[in-house]
Amino acid sequence: MTTQPVGLSIDLAPQQVMRAIDGQYDMAVWRSTSGVVSAWENRCPHRGMRLSYGFVRGESLACAYHGWHYSCEGYCHYIPAHPELTPPKTVRPVLYSVVEQSGLIWVNTEQDAMPVALPDDLQPVRSLVIECDLATAVQALDTRQPHGGVESLSDTPKIITFETGGISQGAVVAIQQSQPNRLIVHMLVQSAVTAKDKIALSRLIESVRRQAESACNEAT
Amino acid sequence: MNGIEHALEYWYPIAMHNELSNGQTRRARLLEKELLLSGGANDSLTVTCNERPLALQSAFDHWWVTLSENPLPLFTIPEADEAERRFVPCGVVRVACSPLRAVENFLDIAHFPFVHTDVLGAEPHTEVYKYDVKIDESKDEVIASNIRFYQPQAAKSAEGGIETEYIYRVPAPMVAILYKTCPQKADAMDVIALFVQPLDEQTCDVWPWMALYDDTSTMADLIQFQQLIFLQDRSILENQIPRKLPLDPGLEIPTRADLTSISYRRWLKKRGAYYGALENC
Ligand code: FES
Ligand SMILES: [Fe+2]
Repeated sequence: MTTQPVGLSIDLAPQQVMRAIDGQYDMAVWRSTSGVVSAWENRCPHRGMRLSYGFVRGESLACAYHGWHYSCEGYCHYIPAHPELTPPKTVRPVLYSVVEQSGLIWVNTEQDAMPVALPDDLQPVRSLVIECDLATAVQALDTRQPHGGVESLSDTPKIITFETGGISQGAVVAIQQSQPNRLIVHMLVQSAVTAKDKIALSRLIESVRRQAESACNEAT
Repeated sequence: MNGIEHALEYWYPIAMHNELSNGQTRRARLLEKELLLSGGANDSLTVTCNERPLALQSAFDHWWVTLSENPLPLFTIPEADEAERRFVPCGVVRVACSPLRAVENFLDIAHFPFVHTDVLGAEPHTEVYKYDVKIDESKDEVIASNIRFYQPQAAKSAEGGIETEYIYRVPAPMVAILYKTCPQKADAMDVIALFVQPLDEQTCDVWPWMALYDDTSTMADLIQFQQLIFLQDRSILENQIPRKLPLDPGLEIPTRADLTSISYRRWLKKRGAYYGALENC
């Protein structure tokens, strides 16, 4: 099982919860008030509510349905319907290994998360969804290279450096294969670039998406 | 075996009274079968499945239909005969969930402060006190009683918070009825029922119905209040996984507050009401 980039660190502020999908794994990824990130199976052990709809209180994630509170270690420590009760240690969702590195949140649903080593000093640009398969997306990225093909840093997950006209250091694109035809592309840029460059990169990846999705639609 | 044979024995709500005018038709789905509804003269209705006319009866401001030649009798609600009550059919809400999950959610009070915040519940009043659940052997119904809960706005007609008393009845696998303290009439209880039309094991149409003592609110306000509550429930119901209801403990962990749900699941299992339930679970 590979370690997948599920989001940009900057997009998950303290007290936020998001949903991430990795193949058949549905996850709730959340950041506590002090900044600790956790990634859990997206199902409350009580009555099955998706935990990604929950809310953060301090260092706990509370489920949206009956408000059961879970600590960063996953243990349920408060059941509002029974304020005096100490819940058994068995009330705990499945926890996945999560690491933050190079501005990305990395999750592995089966073993310890081992992020791909990336250049230092990456700055986030944005994430966006592309509804197509990986090969088509990479091909679309390739056509935007001023000097030939994209350079692959890693195949699974697909991480490529990407030259861009005018921006000397180029960008890094980490592609999360969420579902067979649903990619989430996380874009970062090396070194200090201007806000204007970031906007240009953001436009560029949008046009890559249009190209990839229409190629994909034509093929089917 | 997914329990469809068992589910076929019952009556299900299919339309409100006077919903279809003379000559008007509408398609509907019930237990994976396609039905055709046709309004007739004098507020009558016919329902067919593959051109075969189905047995129909009228009760609680709805039309009830069965696919069985030999159905179980329809449950009763004695309060439906009390003329001083206001009877409020609330329309229909489509929910992408198991019909059994829809009923179970209706039987649950612990979610009030979190899902119906500042209306049916509010923190810090989250505690669910001990209550009683039994199976009424004569009627073969699940009954939960002695339930008390603090509510900021228990009903459209309530002014300010009150401690509300609840009683629940489950007279059929896809019907739940609650009785709750009436804010306007000290010795009476309002009745709210949830009639569930199973389209398939993971989709249902829900028809809430009320029999209230409330002579101040308009009909539109009463319906809107109930619809708002139910739409809040829908946001939960469509995000419970798995979509089918697990009947055996193991996959989901209950507490004492879930006594009604535990009894409901056992009661379903005992009678073989597996339609909408998770296999072997
Ligand atoms: S389903 Fe999560 S607290 Fe009940
Ligand atoms: Fe509710």
